[in-house]
Amino acid sequence: MKMAKKGIMLALTVWMGIGLAGCGAAGAGNTPNPGDQKAPAQTSQSNAAADQGQGQDKLLSGSVVVYSAGPEGLANKIKEGFEKKTGVKVEMFQGTTGKILARMEAEKSNPAVDVIVLASLPTMQALSSDGELLAYPEAENADKLIPEWSDAAKGYFSYSASALGIVYNTKLVQAPPASWSDLAKPEWKGLVNIPDPSLSGSALDFMSGYLSAAGEDGWKLFEQYKQNDVAMAGANQEALDPVITGAKSVVAAGVDYMAYKAKSQGEPVDIVYPKEGTVISPRPAGIVNTSKNVDNAKAFIDYLLSDEAQQLVAKAYLMPGRSDVEAKDRANYKDIETYKVDWQWMNEHTEEVAARFTQLFK
Amino acid sequence: MPLNSLKPYNRIGMMLALILLGLLIVLPLLFILWTSVSKGSSIDLGAPLRNMLEHDLSQVLFNSIWLGLCVIAATTVLALPLAWMMAKTALRRHKWLDIVLLIPFMTPPYIGSMGWMLFMQKNGYMEQFFPASSAVTPAFFSFGGMVAIMSLHLFPFLYLLLRNSLLQIGGSLEEAAAVHGGGFLYRTRRIILPLLLSGYMMGALLIFVKTIAEFGTPATFGRKIGFYVMTSEIHRYISSWPLDFGKATSLASVLLAACLVMWYIQSVISSRYSYRLVGGKGSGARMLPLRGWRGLICWLYVGLLLLASIGIPYFSIISASLLKLRGEGLAWSNLTLSHYADLLAPGSESLRAILNSLGLAVVASTIAVVLGTWFALTVGRSSRPGQKLVDLFSLLPNTVPGIVIVVGLILFWNAKWMPIPLYNTYGMVVLTYVILFLPYTVQYVKSSFNQLDPVLLQAGHVFGGRRLYVLRRILLPLLLPGMLAGWMMTFTISNRELVGSLLILPPSMQTSATYIYAQFEQGAVSMGMAMAVVSVGVTTVMLVILNIFSSKQKVE
Repeated sequence: MKMAKKGIMLALTVWMGIGLAGCGAAGAGNTPNPGDQKAPAQTSQSNAAADQGQGQDKLLSGSVVVYSAGPEGLANKIKEGFEKKTGVKVEMFQGTTGKILARMEAEKSNPAVDVIVLASLPTMQALSSDGELLAYPEAENADKLIPEWSDAAKGYFSYSASALGIVYNTKLVQAPPASWSDLAKPEWKGLVNIPDPSLSGSALDFMSGYLSAAGEDGWKLFEQYKQNDVAMAGANQEALDPVITGAKSVVAAGVDYMAYKAKSQGEPVDIVYPKEGTVISPRPAGIVNTSKNVDNAKAFIDYLLSDEAQQLVAKAYLMPGRSDVEAKDRANYKDIETYKVDWQWMNEHTEEVAARFTQLFK
Repeated sequence: MPLNSLKPYNRIGMMLALILLGLLIVLPLLFILWTSVSKGSSIDLGAPLRNMLEHDLSQVLFNSIWLGLCVIAATTVLALPLAWMMAKTALRRHKWLDIVLLIPFMTPPYIGSMGWMLFMQKNGYMEQFFPASSAVTPAFFSFGGMVAIMSLHLFPFLYLLLRNSLLQIGGSLEEAAAVHGGGFLYRTRRIILPLLLSGYMMGALLIFVKTIAEFGTPATFGRKIGFYVMTSEIHRYISSWPLDFGKATSLASVLLAACLVMWYIQSVISSRYSYRLVGGKGSGARMLPLRGWRGLICWLYVGLLLLASIGIPYFSIISASLLKLRGEGLAWSNLTLSHYADLLAPGSESLRAILNSLGLAVVASTIAVVLGTWFALTVGRSSRPGQKLVDLFSLLPNTVPGIVIVVGLILFWNAKWMPIPLYNTYGMVVLTYVILFLPYTVQYVKSSFNQLDPVLLQAGHVFGGRRLYVLRRILLPLLLPGMLAGWMMTFTISNRELVGSLLILPPSMQTSATYIYAQFEQGAVSMGMAMAVVSVGVTTVMLVILNIFSSKQKVE
């Protein structure tokens, strides 16, 4: 019974929190106040202050609901950093891009989310063209973002990115493959995993990006893969794990930050980027247009693009989205050879590519 | 004197039960069906069937049903001898076995499958011990292996039902037959099996439904061997881009139909073979002593079963939770306890997740037992249409994949017109667990109740006992084992529930299951495995305490 009571209290607190946030938003401005370092527990007090302060100074309060696609460590650090800086409580749901979309779909009639952070750009583009995003033209530092990854209309912002490469087990592989076509050779028969594009947004970006550059002929590579017993294995981590334990030797189209992270822990894995080029998969964030805490949401976007958060991104072995921030422990944007991908084409053909690829590998 | 003295209970409760069930279970499911047939403003009743045909999903449907039937067969082979041993032989004194045998069921299915995969895969633990085994291990990655994993996970379920039925058959009937010269085989064929059939059919139905609604094993092992079932397809439509709730819900309704057919067969057979076993007369249970080769065979059987269902998967799980570097394999120098230290660090996210899970499970299973007992009593012997309806409704959550129910619940409780602000709160999670696991209590209590002789209750009335008194002093004590089994089952499963929790937990809240899942997604497999060990350990300890407590009560 004690738990039930606690539950009701929790419900009330959340409910009141949302109500208060609604009140506070009226007087608050856009930019976070660096001086305000109140702990989340004190938000109701800072709320009252905001109401009395008549919004002369920009003071944020209440909470912001964020649905974020990993990596979890980074998402938690960003949450902490943002709460510390603004005093706004972050309610965070973490899941894959697919799970976030499923939750949004289920909540459609009464949306709870303010900010979404996804791991797949075409998905965000689709949301944008459906008019589900709220533009934020005044976003700080948005001009420093790598332009082809983000929205010119400022609907979404790619705060980070990962590149796709060939991840291999260093104990089992002495001469790593140098090109995508190497993996179709008999010496790799039955030793290669590839992530399922219907579960991994980044893998899907690779496949549709590769096809947008190579055209219909690009399918030949995947057909050769299939003949060489390349196995389609779940999402990114499920594809990588057998390579760490030695059940498989190589992941084709493996996400690089996971490989860097495992490598830094001492696991016997490493990554190469094929010489002919690869695809970089940006990770966009945006405000949904049903947001009830718009000012907090905008502050969250500002924080994502701030120096502090961009450094956190780099520490999580991801590529910072801003061109003026460099990562130390990984390959940077300018070091990786990429295909000339057509994001517009990818956006239009995502569904078709995923369906055809999974059909081929089933 | 009324022939059936239970009628008054039924009349009072029936309408109320129907309304409650309708509100909690049927309406959310109707929401789902509605989405599967409505397109904008028009209604298209053929949509589910067309979806099946268009996307060539008949093979997937066949896979699901075939898998369900094979798992029923395999769990029967595993559970029946065990139930007999635990009910009829001296093995029965070893109560601890009952708790140990629940462990496979406490293990989240995807963790169990991961354990098997880590053990059997190329360069896996098996090959690290016996390099020669690499000739055999690839054969494990087949349909047979999948049936084995799922059966080893689900058999405790059937075992508990069968053993309870066997215990209630008691010794007197068998002795009577023996006195009249019936041999062992004759007694088994003419007395035990017919009496067992009703309980068995219920168990088989639950196994079937559990199997075809299972997501963990198909998602890990099934995907690896390219064996796709309905749930994996539904999950694909519901959680990967592009989302298609319509298709997912139409597949779900086909799955629902398959389960309803099974339910119908089960209820026909059960009502034909239902007997009143617990009468007023004492039934001294005969216990076969276990000496010499008999004891050896029994213990060997139990030993092998425990090795396969717990030993192997837990060897993998525990090893994985202790490894410093997973790429280095098994070696003493590569072991560490640091994952456990991180996991149980005070104030850590993982510790909060464990406490969350326990709290939720206790609250949910208590509510589920109270509601479930009430519904089971309302169903009674399900002779009237109203009772049949309650029976069907309370079983529904078990016939639809959890994820579908959860989506229905979200659609329902988060609707704009819903006046109760339950969504995104703690209460919503409790509600979801109660709804998802209600069928267990209902089944357990129903199965105990069906074996009660109404004469007992009539006797209570004859001697002037009022309704409440009869309920308190006669009915409830006799139902208590069923209720307790229901509570333990609900507690165990809610503690590891994943699919629903992933969607329904309020932001910023984690349970041990979602924590494990997140660790796997993030690549911290060792942390995930350590959490699995801790949460199964905690559940086991809880059950042991409960068991000691309840057996003390019996003595008093």
